[in-house]
Amino acid sequence: MLLRKSRLFVLQLVSVALICTGLVQVSWAGAIGTEQIIESDARATSIERIDALLAREDVASQLQEYGVDPAVIEARVRGLTTAELLALENRLDQQVAGGDALAVIGIVFLVLLILELVGVTDIFKSI
Amino acid sequence: MRRSGSGRRLLAVLLFGLAGCAGIPDTVRSLPDEDIAVELVDTPFFAQDRYQCGPAALATALVASDAKVSLEGIERKVYIPGRKGSLQFEMLAATRTSDRMPYLLDKSLAAIVAELEAGRPVVVLQNLGLSWIPRWHYAVVVGIDGNDDRVVLRSGTDSRRITPIDLFLRTWARSDFWAMSVIRPGEMPAIVDRARYFDAVVGLEQAGMAESAALAWQAALDAWPDNPTALFGLGNARLILEDYAAAEEAYLAMLAVRPGFAAAHNNLAFTLAKQGRFQAALEEISRGLEQATDQLLVDELIDTRAMIELELKNTAEGLRPTD
Repeated sequence: MLLRKSRLFVLQLVSVALICTGLVQVSWAGAIGTEQIIESDARATSIERIDALLAREDVASQLQEYGVDPAVIEARVRGLTTAELLALENRLDQQVAGGDALAVIGIVFLVLLILELVGVTDIFKSI
Repeated sequence: MRRSGSGRRLLAVLLFGLAGCAGIPDTVRSLPDEDIAVELVDTPFFAQDRYQCGPAALATALVASDAKVSLEGIERKVYIPGRKGSLQFEMLAATRTSDRMPYLLDKSLAAIVAELEAGRPVVVLQNLGLSWIPRWHYAVVVGIDGNDDRVVLRSGTDSRRITPIDLFLRTWARSDFWAMSVIRPGEMPAIVDRARYFDAVVGLEQAGMAESAALAWQAALDAWPDNPTALFGLGNARLILEDYAAAEEAYLAMLAVRPGFAAAHNNLAFTLAKQGRFQAALEEISRGLEQATDQLLVDELIDTRAMIELELKNTAEGLRPTD
């Protein structure tokens, strides 16, 4: 009798455990985890941000002054690996420490920095 | 005379050896300001027992961040008796399950200074032996003083160990400058690398700390408004928390910046099905299938559709008597 009771208890315990794990799985399985999208999207976001900078009129005219076609830069940006792209973007972020890039460092410097980072010039050897 | 000559040679060899170790790059060594002096004097201290520097260091940083943990609890999570130590991997995992986000710092003193100035002590891995007789040791940096040339550590049984900066750098270099900060979800590291921050938040998601992940993604959206990865991550965190309306909102916002992003269509469909909106869910699957190029994604979408159709069928059968 005692044995039966304890066996029943174990069975109940096991079934509760099964139900719990079952519930946890149901609520999330079938959805795609963030880690699966992170790299492709990080790349797209970086390219977008740099393109947006290049598309600005003041940046474009500054590039023209240096005789550089923005399309050349855009093509080079797309040729970078994801790691290189993120490093480039991060460098831009760090130069301005979270502020608005153009307001803090000025267009001329920003343009030179982009040119340097994508390998068109090598003015800032130390950067 | 002979003895002192050989002594001098020995000294020369020793100095040469030290110089050989001192190949620390300037990017690591340089301080943002040579006169910098910062010390978090209120940082708690847990004296370690014998080999348990990992738990002691981690408990120090966690308690400093107001996490509700005890040294014993942390010991159970990270200390491996057979190895007489803790792995870096376990230090990160135990931080996550304590509701905090581990963030690996840039390899520089400047990065440590920035964290200290933000009020966060920094866990570092040192090698106090020689590179060929390793003695790995976790300690917590609580202060750096450029003028007095010293690093202040909570270390071992020493509640305030003072080490010259160069000596600290040499012992730290052998772990390839491993340094970790304990971030309260929702706060940003002082110097943030977006990709590394995202990886850190994904770590929270994978550890099942959805509430923390949601806070961390929200902070990411404050820093990088409309960032699609952060929106997708926020949607996932809300989904795990079964806050389906908020999850739906996040996926829709992600699709607004990334139209046709198949993974977001998949998760949105899932979220809609959870709310019983099966037709809308199936429409999202169709939109996803139109856009998906990757076979794995196509398979995911088809699996989700099968699940939705099954739930639709079950619900229809369950509801028939009242229809």
